[in-house]
Amino acid sequence: MKLDPVLVEILMHKLTAITEEMAITLQRSARTTYVKEAGDFGTALATPEGRFFAYPAVMGVSGFLDSNVGPTMAHFTDLVPGDVVITNHPYLSDGLATHMPDLHLIRPIFYGEKIVAYAWDFIHSADIGGGVPSSISPKFTDLFQEGLQIPPTKIVKAGVLNTEFLNLYRSNCRTPDVNLGDIRAMIAALAVGDRRIQELMETHGAQTFIDVQHDLVNYAGTKALAVQKKIPNGVYEFWDLLDDDFNSPVPVRVRVRLEATDGHIHLDFTGSDPQVEAAYNIPTGGKRHPWLTLKLMHFIYSHDKTVPLNYGMFEHVTVTAPLGTVVNPEPPAAVGVRSATAIRLNEALVGAMAMAKPGLMPAPSGGIMIPSVLVEQDPASGQRRVMVLQSLVGGTGAREGADGVDGRDSSLANQRNTPIEKTEEEAAALIADYALRVDSGGAGRWRGGTGVVFTVRIARDGSAVLGRGMERFVFRPWGMAGGMPGERARVVVNLGRPDERELGKLDMFLARAGDIVTIMTPGGGGYGDPLDRPPAEVLADVRYGYVSREGARRDYGVVLTGMAVDEAATSALRDEMRAGRPPIAAFNFGPEREAWEAVFDDATMSRLNAALMRIPTATRYERRKRLFMDVIPGLKRGAADLAAVVGDISEARQRLAGAIGRLEVEIGPSAV
Amino acid sequence: MQTPRYRIGIDVGGTFTDFVLADLTGARLSFYKEPSVPPDPSLAVERGLAALVAQQGIDPATIELIVHGTTIGLNAIIQRRGARIALVVSKGNRDVLEIARLRMPSSYDFTEPREQPLVERDLVFEVSARMRADGSIDTPLDAGEVDDLIGKIAEAKVDAVAIMLLNSYRSAALEIELAERLRAGLPALLVSESAVIWPEVREYERCLVGALNGYIQPLKSSYFDKLASRVAGLGIAAPIYITANNGGTLSLDTARARPINTILSGPAAGVVASLAVGKAAGTGQLITFDMGGTSADISVCRAGRLEFTTTTHVGDFPLIMPVVNVSAIGAGGGSILWLDKQGLLKVGPVSAGADPGPVCYGRGGTVPTVTDCYVALGIVDPTRFLGGRMTLDRDAALGALAKIAEPLGLSGPDAAVGAAEAGIRVASAKMATEITKLLAEAGVDPRQFSLVAYGGAGPTHANYLAEDAGLTSVLVPMAPGTFCALGAVLADIRRDYVRTARLMVSRDGGEGWAEVQRHLAELAEEARAWIANEGDLVGEHGFVVSFNIRYPGQAYEIEIVLDEETRRTLDPQKLLDLFHAEHERLYGFAEPDSAVQTSTIRLAVIGKVAAVALPDAPLRKAQSTGIRKVRHKGQWLDAQVYERATIGPDEVVAGPAVIDQPDTTILVLPNWTARADRLGTLRLTRN
Repeated sequence: MKLDPVLVEILMHKLTAITEEMAITLQRSARTTYVKEAGDFGTALATPEGRFFAYPAVMGVSGFLDSNVGPTMAHFTDLVPGDVVITNHPYLSDGLATHMPDLHLIRPIFYGEKIVAYAWDFIHSADIGGGVPSSISPKFTDLFQEGLQIPPTKIVKAGVLNTEFLNLYRSNCRTPDVNLGDIRAMIAALAVGDRRIQELMETHGAQTFIDVQHDLVNYAGTKALAVQKKIPNGVYEFWDLLDDDFNSPVPVRVRVRLEATDGHIHLDFTGSDPQVEAAYNIPTGGKRHPWLTLKLMHFIYSHDKTVPLNYGMFEHVTVTAPLGTVVNPEPPAAVGVRSATAIRLNEALVGAMAMAKPGLMPAPSGGIMIPSVLVEQDPASGQRRVMVLQSLVGGTGAREGADGVDGRDSSLANQRNTPIEKTEEEAAALIADYALRVDSGGAGRWRGGTGVVFTVRIARDGSAVLGRGMERFVFRPWGMAGGMPGERARVVVNLGRPDERELGKLDMFLARAGDIVTIMTPGGGGYGDPLDRPPAEVLADVRYGYVSREGARRDYGVVLTGMAVDEAATSALRDEMRAGRPPIAAFNFGPEREAWEAVFDDATMSRLNAALMRIPTATRYERRKRLFMDVIPGLKRGAADLAAVVGDISEARQRLAGAIGRLEVEIGPSAV
Repeated sequence: MQTPRYRIGIDVGGTFTDFVLADLTGARLSFYKEPSVPPDPSLAVERGLAALVAQQGIDPATIELIVHGTTIGLNAIIQRRGARIALVVSKGNRDVLEIARLRMPSSYDFTEPREQPLVERDLVFEVSARMRADGSIDTPLDAGEVDDLIGKIAEAKVDAVAIMLLNSYRSAALEIELAERLRAGLPALLVSESAVIWPEVREYERCLVGALNGYIQPLKSSYFDKLASRVAGLGIAAPIYITANNGGTLSLDTARARPINTILSGPAAGVVASLAVGKAAGTGQLITFDMGGTSADISVCRAGRLEFTTTTHVGDFPLIMPVVNVSAIGAGGGSILWLDKQGLLKVGPVSAGADPGPVCYGRGGTVPTVTDCYVALGIVDPTRFLGGRMTLDRDAALGALAKIAEPLGLSGPDAAVGAAEAGIRVASAKMATEITKLLAEAGVDPRQFSLVAYGGAGPTHANYLAEDAGLTSVLVPMAPGTFCALGAVLADIRRDYVRTARLMVSRDGGEGWAEVQRHLAELAEEARAWIANEGDLVGEHGFVVSFNIRYPGQAYEIEIVLDEETRRTLDPQKLLDLFHAEHERLYGFAEPDSAVQTSTIRLAVIGKVAAVALPDAPLRKAQSTGIRKVRHKGQWLDAQVYERATIGPDEVVAGPAVIDQPDTTILVLPNWTARADRLGTLRLTRN
C-alpha cells in the first residue's frame, strides 16, 4: 500500500459514504417508480480510467460494480469542470448502458486542470420511447425499436444545462416530465459527489485521494484472490439454456469454460449461441463486464464480507466473449431483456464452480425477474394508464447447510416489491393472491425456496397484462448434489374455471373484465438427496405449507399420519425409493433438458455454433432457426412437454447430423 | 413553606436502572443508579425507588408523577422472546410476512438469511373480508368463516392476535368488526387491529405495526401490572406514565393498549433532555450523541424541535410510526479493534459487551476495545473509573493493543499507544461519515450544530468526533450517565394520529383541500377525546400538523410541518410555499407552478405537563487537581485534570484537559476550550 493502512481504512469509509450520500440525494427526489419502490438505480465513483473504486454498500443495484465509464468518456477531448455526460447507448458506451431505459450520467471531477475521478449515477427510467410503453419487449429485433439512442452527449456544459438536447429527449419519451425530474435528481447527486471529493482533497490532499484509489483497488484484489483460491486449479465447463428467444421457439444456450489457476480465473464464453433477433442479447463490448461476473462477485463477498466494493474484486478475472454471440452482440442487436440471458449465464457460472468443488455455491434460484405491468383504459377519458403490478421472482436455491429462501431472490438485483395497497390505489384491478407456491421448491436434503403465485383480477375490458423476462417455462432450475429441480413457471388465465387457459410465456395479454390472470414463478433448485432430509423437517414444511402431504411422500419418501411422521412407513418407503432409482448425479436438470441434450449435446452444439458463426450476421439467425425447425419439426414456444416434442432421440439425431452436414457444405470448408 | 412536590424519571438499561428525582418546589435534581435485574426489571425499579426515597428523606405521598422508560418490548423483539401470536389477513395475503418487501438483507452475501417472520406461517389465517382502495367493502365479513376462525385460534393456543385486512387504512371498520367478534368469542384474547393502531397505506408495514403490538402486549401488560403493584407497595400513589417513541409520554392505560408506541422510548427521552439542555445553552441546532458500551446513537435536531422518522427499524422490521429519529452509528466503548488479513484496522461491529468487557476491566477480556484505547491514551485514570468504584488495568490494555501495533507498522515504546490512537481515529471517522450522511439527508450545514454528548463514553469521545465531523461545538450536560431518565421527567404527553389520503392540492385549494380539512377536523376530534381521558396532570393541549407531500408522480415525499399560523388559517397557498421552499432547499430545484399531492396527513396532540425547571449549578471556582499525560497526534500532552463538580457557571477550562465525574470522563482537546453555563453544562468550542 502506498498509504498508511489506518488512513486507507478511514478513507474507505469516507468514500463509501460519499457514494451513499449521492444515492440518498438521487433516490429521494427521483420520480420514477423503478427508483421509488424498486431501487433500480446506482451511484459510484470511478478512477480517471473509468473503473469504480467506491460503491454504496446498501443502496441501489448491487450488480454494476464492475462497470466501466472509460469508453463513454473517451468520446470527449474537451471536458471541463461542471460538465455532465449522458448516455444510454449499449454499443457506444461499450456495455456501460446495458439497455436503453437505463440512463447513465457521468461527471468528471477535476483537481486544477486534471481529471482525478468521475462521479457516476444511473437510473432505470420510466420510458425511453420505442415500440411499447416502458420501452422493453422481448420481441424487438433491433435497437431502433427499443427507443431513443443517446450517444455519449454533454447534458450539462460547464454547469449550463443543454436545453436543446433536453428538448429532443423530452419529445422522444412517453413520460417527459417524470424523466426530466429524474435527470435533475441525477445531476444533483453527481454535484454532491463532486463537492464531497473536493472537500476530501482539501482535507487529505489530491495526491492522497489518487493514491487511495490504487490502494483500495489492490486491497480488494488481494482479498478476492484469497477467496478465488478456494476454486481448485482446473478447467470446468458448464452451460444452461433459455427456453427460447421469444421470436423463435429455439432454445438459447450460454456456455462457460472456467479455468482456475492459483486463484486467477479465466471465463471463456465461446460456444455460446449466436446473437438472436430478439431482445435477449447482452452488450458487453467483449470485455469483462458486470453481467458476466455477477456470481463470482457473490461468491467472493459471501466468503469475505470485509472485501471493499470496488473493481479490484475482479482484477484476477479475465474474460473471452466472442463477437456476434449473445454475450457480445454486434449492433444493432436488441438488448432490452438482457437480464434474462444474464441470469442463465450466471447460473452456468454457478454450475462450473460447483463442478470445481461441490458446496461452493448454492443451487440456482428460480432464475427469473419479471416486472409485471398492467395497462388499464380509463372508460371516461379513454386514456391509458401504465402501472407496475409487481416485481416477480422465484425462490433462491438451496445450498450445503441451508434451505433456499422462499419467494425472494436477490441473485440478480435485490429489488423491493410493490405493496398491493399501492397498486390498488392506482389500478381498478384487484390483486387476489400474492403468496408462496406450494411444492415449487426443488426437493433436497436442503430444500429450494418456493416460487410465488400472483393473481390479478381484471376490472376493465381492454386491460393488458405485460410481463417480460418470462423464463423457466421449459427448462427447470436444476438441482445439485442429488437435489431435485425447482418447479417451472406458469401463466394461466381463469385458473380453475371452465374457461381456464394456459398462456405460457406472455409478452402482452389482452384481458377482459372478470378475467383472472395467475403468474406462478419457479422454485429454486434443491441441494443434496431429498431422502436424507430428516422427516421432522419435512413434517415442518408440511405444517407450514411449503410442501404438500403428497409432495412429502412423492419427493421425500415421508409418510404422514395426521400431523405426525409414520416412522416405519417412511423408512420402508425411502428404502424402496433408494433401490429403484439411478445413481445420484452431480446435477439434476429434469427430463426436458435431458431430452433436448440427448439430441443437441455439447460437442454437437459447439460444432454447430462454430459453423453458424461463419455465416454473415444478417442471415445467421434465420438459418439457425430453420435448422432447428428441420430437426425438431414440432418445436413450439414454451413447450412444457419438450420430451414429447423431441420425440424419438435417434431419429432426431440423424436429422441433426444431416442438417449440420448440409450447413457445412453450404458454407464451405473452414479457413483453418 | 410550600408543600414539597416531586417527580421521578426512571430509565431501565441493561446494566443500570437510572433515576432522576426532580424537586419541583426546591428546583433541585438528584440522580441515582441501581444495578438492573434483567430477569425482573421492576425489582430494580422498586429497590431504586425505595433507596432514593430513603436517601432524600422524602414522603412518598409527595411524589406526584413517575415517568418510566423501558426496553422490555424492544429486547423481546430483538431476542424473539415475545408472545405466540396469530395473524388474520384478507384472502390472498397470508404470506405478507413471509415475502415482506422482497428485498434480502444483503445483496451480495448468499449466506445471509432473511429475517425470521414474527408469526409462524401456520398461525396466519385468511378471511374473505377485504376492502377496496376507495374504502368500499369488496367482500364483507362472513359469519360462518369467523366462527371457524375462532375455533382455529382457540386451538392454536395463542396469547394474542393481530388483524390486517387489505386496504383497511381507508377505514378500520372491517378490522374492528372482526376484532369485536373475536373478543366476543375468545374474551381472554388480546387483539391488535393494524388500522386502529396506525392506518397508513402499505400492507406489510401496517401488518407489522399490528403484529409487533400483539407480540409484546402480553409481556408488557404483565410487566406494567407488576410495576404498578410494586410502586403502590412503596406507598407511592402517583400515577405512572410511560415514555413513548415520539419523545412524549402516555398514561399506563394507553401504554397497555398500544405498547408499540413505547418500544423506542429510551433513546427518545435522551433527545428530549438534550433539547432542554440546548435551550438553556441558547441553541436548538443539536446532534445528540449517546455512546454507551455497545453502540453509539445520534439524532439531529433543528430549531429546538425533535426530528421524527417513519423509516426506522426495530430489530429486523421496519416501523412506519413516527419515532424520534435516532440512528445507530457504530462503535461503543466495548467495540473490538481487530486487523483483517491485509492489515487494515477495523473497529466493531463485534463488542466485548459488559462481560467480559474491555481488557482493562480485568474480567477475562483479551481483545482490545475502544475503552482500552481511552485508558491507554491516558484519558481515563485507571484509579478513578466510575468514581473510583472500579480499578482498571492499564498495562493489560497496553498489552492487548501491542499485539495489533506491530502489524500496523508501529514500533518503539509507544507502539501500543499508537495503536490506541489509530483505533480512535478509525472509530471516529466511521461515526463522522454517518453524521455527514444524516446531515446530508436533512440538508444542513454541520458548522451550525452542537454535539450533545452523554452516555458513559459520549463525553469522552465527543471532542474527537466533533473534530472529524467538522462540528465546532460540544455540549456536555451535568449528569450524562442518567440523561435518559432526566428526559423522562421533562416530557409532555404526546400521541400521533395519521390518515392516508392521496389528494391534489393547488394554490386555490380546490376539492382536495376541502378533503384535507375534513380529515384534519376528524383527527383533531379523535385526539381531543383521547387526551381528555389521559389524566389530571394534563394541562393545556395543542396540535402539530404535518403532511407528506410530493410533486405528482415524484419518487419520495417531503414532510412539511405546518407553522402555528398556517395550522390555524389552513391557507393552501402557505402549504405549497412551504413545500416548494423545502424542495428547493433539499434538492436545489422547485416547480412553483406545479400542484402538489398529499399522501399522509399526521396530527400530533401534545398535552402540557407543568414544566420542570433545570436547576442552576452552584458557584464554584475551577481548580486543576494535577496533570495527566494524554497522547494526542503522536505526542504526550500535559492535560490539566479537573473535578466536574468544581466547574461552576462561567468557569473556563482550556484544552488539553480531562474532567472527571463519577459517571464519565470528559476530554477537551488542544485548541478547544470548555466553558460552563448557568446550569453547569460544559460547552466545548474550537478556539
